[in-house]
Amino acid sequence: MDLVIVGFGVVGQGVAEVIQQKREFLHDAFRKKTRIVGVFDSSSYETNKTGLDPSALIKRKASKNKVGKRRYDGDAWRILGALEYDTLIEVTPTNIVSGEPGFTNIATALKSGKNVITSNKGPLALRFRELSDAARKNNVQLRFEATVGGAMPIINLSRELLRGEKILSIRGILNGTCNFILDRMMEEGLPFAQALREAQDMGIAEKDPSYDIDGDDSACKVAILANAIFGLDKKYSDVKKTGIRGVTEDAISLAEEEKKVIRLIGEISPKRLEVAPRLVRIGHPLSIGGTRNIVQIHTDLAGEITVAGKGAGKYETASAILSDLVALLNENKKSRVIRR
Amino acid sequence: MKVNADLRLKDVPGQLVFALEPISTNDGNIVGVVHHRDVVIGGHITVNVTFEVRSDRMLQRILDTWKERDIDVARMGSLYETFPIECLLVGDISSQELNNIMEEIEAMEDMESVDVRYSVSAASDGKAAIVFGKVRKKEAVERVERLLEERAADGGFLLVRGLGD
Ligand SMILES: NC(=O)c1ccc[n+]([C@@H]2O[C@H](COP(=O)([O-])OP(=O)(O)OC[C@H]3O[C@@H](n4cnc5c(N)ncnc54)[C@H](OP(=O)(O)O)[C@@H]3O)[C@@H](O)[C@H]2O)c1
Repeated sequence: MDLVIVGFGVVGQGVAEVIQQKREFLHDAFRKKTRIVGVFDSSSYETNKTGLDPSALIKRKASKNKVGKRRYDGDAWRILGALEYDTLIEVTPTNIVSGEPGFTNIATALKSGKNVITSNKGPLALRFRELSDAARKNNVQLRFEATVGGAMPIINLSRELLRGEKILSIRGILNGTCNFILDRMMEEGLPFAQALREAQDMGIAEKDPSYDIDGDDSACKVAILANAIFGLDKKYSDVKKTGIRGVTEDAISLAEEEKKVIRLIGEISPKRLEVAPRLVRIGHPLSIGGTRNIVQIHTDLAGEITVAGKGAGKYETASAILSDLVALLNENKKSRVIRR
Repeated sequence: MKVNADLRLKDVPGQLVFALEPISTNDGNIVGVVHHRDVVIGGHITVNVTFEVRSDRMLQRILDTWKERDIDVARMGSLYETFPIECLLVGDISSQELNNIMEEIEAMEDMESVDVRYSVSAASDGKAAIVFGKVRKKEAVERVERLLEERAADGGFLLVRGLGD
């Protein structure tokens, strides 16, 4: 399978490394070479029909801050049309206002009959229906396990393994940064500002933390889950959201006296599409601390299913992208067998 | 909340009043008493009492008094299935405002018990209050939460709802 990677930051490089690392496995399992035939960052790109060397790309990016020798204006979609490949891996930054450049990159690939794997929440939290319709119309797949919960498998689990079940509701911790801050506030009795500063010093929170702590990131994930699993047509702005800025030390200690913790919970149920701080009983699965993500899926037959995992990180996110890639390769293998 | 309990009392005059009095002193309402005078075991008789009490805290006080008075509770149960309500309000909320909210909640249908606890913070906008109690219907949980959501939005407070399990 020939891949083009657009975006060569933390995740893009992680994917390149993992493809190199899993080369033998992919070949043995699917009897097909998996090659990177194109790669883009914001200002440069490189292509090669016979495959690019992942470690050379990473080395070049580290030394020159450019992944390729060829320069361009950042509109990868213009170049994508002229390339021969099977699957686009779209891992440019999330933009929750316009969805770009991800939206146009993804739409261009789908319309020209290519599969897409992405970790970019913006296009899916803003224009999910358009993209999933384009994938269906062009008989290709749009896969996005990495957009929700990093390494924690939730989308493919719900859509594939739990397909026969009726999923009644999903709720969980979808942002590791907020969970870390709330956990530190309780464990150490820190005020919000100090716990946030600690998270920033440790590289867990961004310099501008608003996207995480105001609940935007979780709201994007709630919208994506609502669309992908419940078949709804929701945008990130349809999600009612309350962040964690207003959580005070008094609130945390009053909760603790009642044997509760405060957690930022995303909820998708027939009644609610919401991100809000909630009181969670200590010992309840959703009371976990640290930066992990955790989700409970409530179904008609299985009851409650709980999954947890690392919500972000280079290899964790690459792991989710690899799971999508393996699903595509599996599909390909099946259709090859049928054709024979 | 409506409670039904079997109490074991010494079979001597005055014991029944002695046992029922803590219920009334804690704002409880006695609904019924069944006195099994004929069955005396080890000098004790059993009294079955049904009463309403406003909150878990009041019930606890009654239980504490019974313990002090050496009255044995042989069995106790709530008469309905109840659902918990638990909401935290955070922000500069005055006690007057909180009292108004509590009165509104108390007046709602299907309320079993409701109570509030405040934090003791110096910073006014960091204050918190936790409203907790029990209701007899699931829909009543939603009604209470909706009311609190409205009040929180009007007053600019943060509302932290319970998860419900
Ligand atoms: N990091 C995680 O743990 C994680 C987890 C889950 C999901 N995600 C999502 O995955 C995506 C990538 O995250 P990241 O952490 O890898 O971000 P990142 O480190 O900031 O990398 C973004 C990459 O995209 C490139 N880029 C920016 N504008 C572009 C354009 N117009 N055309 C082509 N490339 C462009 C950047 O180029 P330059 O190198 O030239 O700046 C950079 O290589 C984001 O959407 C993020 O939300 C990340």
